[in-house]
Amino acid sequence: MSTEPEVFVAGIGVLPFGKHVERSVTSLAIEAGLLALRDAGVAPREIGMGFFANVLASRLFGDSTLGQNVFASLGMNRIPVVNVENACTSGSSAFHLACMAIRSGECDLALAIGAEKMCLPQMGLLSSGNTDPDTLLGLVTPASFALRARRHMQEFGTTAQQMAMVAVKNRKHAALNPQAEFREPITLEQVLNSPLIADPLTRLQSCPIADGAAAVLLCSAKVAQRLSCRIGVRTSILVSGSYDNPQDLARWETDYRCARQAYEKAGIGAVDLDLVECHDAFTIAEIMHYEALGLCSPGEGGRFIESGAAALGGATPVNVSGGLLSRGHPVAATGLAQIAEVTLQLREQAGARQVHGAKLGLAHCMGGDRAADTKSATIVILAT
Amino acid sequence: MNQPLLPVVPDLCAVGEQGELELSGSFCAACRRYAYPRVEHCPGCLQLTERKPVGGRGRIYSYTVIRTRPPFQLPEPYAVGYIDLAASGLRVFGLFHPEAIEQLRIGMPVALEEIPLGINNDGQLCLRPVFSPAGTSDEH
Repeated sequence: MSTEPEVFVAGIGVLPFGKHVERSVTSLAIEAGLLALRDAGVAPREIGMGFFANVLASRLFGDSTLGQNVFASLGMNRIPVVNVENACTSGSSAFHLACMAIRSGECDLALAIGAEKMCLPQMGLLSSGNTDPDTLLGLVTPASFALRARRHMQEFGTTAQQMAMVAVKNRKHAALNPQAEFREPITLEQVLNSPLIADPLTRLQSCPIADGAAAVLLCSAKVAQRLSCRIGVRTSILVSGSYDNPQDLARWETDYRCARQAYEKAGIGAVDLDLVECHDAFTIAEIMHYEALGLCSPGEGGRFIESGAAALGGATPVNVSGGLLSRGHPVAATGLAQIAEVTLQLREQAGARQVHGAKLGLAHCMGGDRAADTKSATIVILAT
Repeated sequence: MNQPLLPVVPDLCAVGEQGELELSGSFCAACRRYAYPRVEHCPGCLQLTERKPVGGRGRIYSYTVIRTRPPFQLPEPYAVGYIDLAASGLRVFGLFHPEAIEQLRIGMPVALEEIPLGINNDGQLCLRPVFSPAGTSDEH
């Protein structure tokens, strides 16, 4: 199959993640969009289509259809704008749609922006929705990962220490990322001794909420030539859960399936990757993603982190940005921030956290909870 | 309050033929497939399903004790998990009895009961189905 990319990354824009108390969701989104336009050096009137990802504004502020406000403020009125909500993959789903818009020939430039504001007193834990029976029976997001962690420990001998190593590693990476929310180093003891959220997961093994925004501008091969863009989209995959019953909580079928499809479509294998940004919502999640993405064998994720292979300088550095665990997780911005990070790395512009000679990178995201499965999973593979 | 407490979700469980509380699900005769919570149409063949109990006894597949601020005024801490139901083979999500938290372990036999626990979406005290440790001998 042809591996010649039809879609290229023309520009990226990411705001520092953390508390932006004084700013609105749209204000954050507009700035991220502006950064992406400036990064690419294109004018708003050249953009053919816009996608805006946000999850919580309807719940927290009673706002809806904010995408049109954001794009109009950036001088992009009249064009088609679509609002995207896909839980934690909202940003990467917006990216996926932007890719499709360009591949279909509908437009030559499409902009995906994701923004979230969630550092508010009324923000509780994320759940699968207030009327879902599982939610009403007390399912909160940390619990669904704690339940996976317990099975993984039982079946593969994964230890609390190995899980904690993920948090320590990602914090070490975040120290090198000026845009990360938490940058002070943490020790294994601090991670393990932080308060239990849902055992065996402690607070420092759970990604923090954050306000933030990220944007990725995509273009066709024709425009890429004019703009001298060299980062191509090798593949973008979006899948939903199978919701098969029983679900194997220690081997996440949807995660494996998404990875298999992505590698097949891109014509590459895990061994070819120079870096990975993955959805480390909780430490156990990153360990399970190592396995699903084929960075190690099934069940070997705990030993993989212990080996140092996932750290900057290791065989396949994972979450050199600091990941969700330390960069922070403004839900709808995360997927796009991951793709922006991989882009920076492939451009050799990642500063102190640069993976030297990075030519092929993968961004992986998961979102939502249904019937012990994820609702959505995305993988984007970028190449120079 | 003399009003009887309402279940947190209507028709989530009912007393079955054995005289024991069971989760209420559905069954597709064509696909031989159980579902819980109940679905109207079978996702496999889109035919209408029949209501069917899916069981109230089983074994713990995984569990966790949640120690963060609980939703719906559930007790702090509270425990949840997945239970493999003996009758239907379904792996279902459920709450554990607050008094059972210290005893939970993978593989433990459990049985369903309904107790007053927490509030519903309208802020009213309500009933919730919970699993409690049960002897191995009486597993159906």
